[in-house]
Amino acid sequence: MLSTQIPESDIDPYTDESILNPYDAYRALRDLGPVVRLDQYGVWAAARYQEVYEALHDHESFISGEGVGVTEQLNKAQHGSSLTSDPPYHDLVRGLVARHLTPKALREVQGYVADWANRLVDELIERGEFDAVTDFGQAFPLAIVPDLLGWPVEEGRERLLDWAAAGFNAFGPLNERTVAGFPLLKEMGEFLYRMSVPGNLRPGSWGAQLVADAQAGKIANELLPALLGDFLAPSMDTSVSALSSMLWLFGEHPGQWDLLKAEPSLAGNAFNEIVRRESPLRGFTRLLTRDRVLGGAELKAGSRMLLLYGSANRDERHWDDPETFDITRPDAAEHLGFGHGIHGCVGQALSRLEGKSLMDALLRKVRRIEVGVPTWRLHNTIRGIETLPVVLHA
Amino acid sequence: MKLSVEFGRCEGHGLCEEAAPELFRLDDEGDLLVLYDPSAEIPSGQEPAAERAVRVCPVGALWRLDHSQAG
Ligand code: SF4
Repeated sequence: MLSTQIPESDIDPYTDESILNPYDAYRALRDLGPVVRLDQYGVWAAARYQEVYEALHDHESFISGEGVGVTEQLNKAQHGSSLTSDPPYHDLVRGLVARHLTPKALREVQGYVADWANRLVDELIERGEFDAVTDFGQAFPLAIVPDLLGWPVEEGRERLLDWAAAGFNAFGPLNERTVAGFPLLKEMGEFLYRMSVPGNLRPGSWGAQLVADAQAGKIANELLPALLGDFLAPSMDTSVSALSSMLWLFGEHPGQWDLLKAEPSLAGNAFNEIVRRESPLRGFTRLLTRDRVLGGAELKAGSRMLLLYGSANRDERHWDDPETFDITRPDAAEHLGFGHGIHGCVGQALSRLEGKSLMDALLRKVRRIEVGVPTWRLHNTIRGIETLPVVLHA
Repeated sequence: MKLSVEFGRCEGHGLCEEAAPELFRLDDEGDLLVLYDPSAEIPSGQEPAAERAVRVCPVGALWRLDHSQAG
């Protein structure tokens, strides 16, 4: 059944209110139809699972090379990264980043990550009350990723969190949040440019290898900053959000924690369920290159589509009881929290490794996770906790 | 039903193995093994598992050849 009637809506996913409580707006968008036009931004949104999945898997119609944010002006500045390119170029650069991040490649760093996780959990048990975000969610990726990339010791890592936050805000509309990040993005650009100069990243590191590839003529020098950025920015806020949500969800659902303690082999599925239920990435856009029907809606070439992963992961048309946190959910692996298809998160194995290592350490050492009340971040693209007091009871 | 297995895109996430253990396995090295003749039809009875594998492969390395709608 075809219908050309695409509902229009004045729902704005980027107001403070929609950001703090996105799920009501998502449900309203899902209920309006398979595709909805967001008047405010002149973009089309898919909020149901089926259409988000279908668009992600038709990467020839829904392209990434014209940017994956909401604002055309900012999309133009995104060229060159793996995230914002199409085949065949995409396959080349994706391969260069992915070679270090496949589960197979990560076997080499498994022990290192596990040791770090054990030390962190020991220290937090000792400490008593701590913050889920700064002391747990941020501490971990900030310790691991810059190290693997070859970050020079004398460069402060803390700025990385601000840069990553600014970078992801810029995938949203041109609002104050985005504009406030511009000076930080400039700083990040300059830093990445400096890191592209041979000799500045630790020899033997992932980053140094990319720089060596450029020297060998395998990739163009100008692309190095964007490719180094591919490693850094997406590995921060997204992981921070998933890891803090892990503590919050298990603290709020002690029955699920006990279940996992009784059956530690559920850890992999539990991580999927965390990413489904509290998807760190709200969504990215694609540009439609040809007229195409999606969910019965006739879309015109040139339409920009916002694909709301966080909403798809709570779509009652796809999931039984989507609001419930259930680590035994049989289809949790079908979540779209890492995106899906050829642009599916290139760091997802590292993210799983981080989550799994921390979960293992917690399972071994912690009897009960006590949590307070979270506050949520005001961010255009990342959904996550801002602060949450936690106590780990050994 | 036939699948295209794009080894160039496969990153070894192993979700296909969980969805269709009779069709796909990761070997000890972490590389993907296809346990049937990939140029032939999916062995009968395995179609639902194959469909699940296509659906969950997170990086689009598995495609249905006889069916353009993914999912
Ligand atoms: S799920 Fe996809 S990426 Fe993972 S091993 Fe299977 S084919 Fe490869």
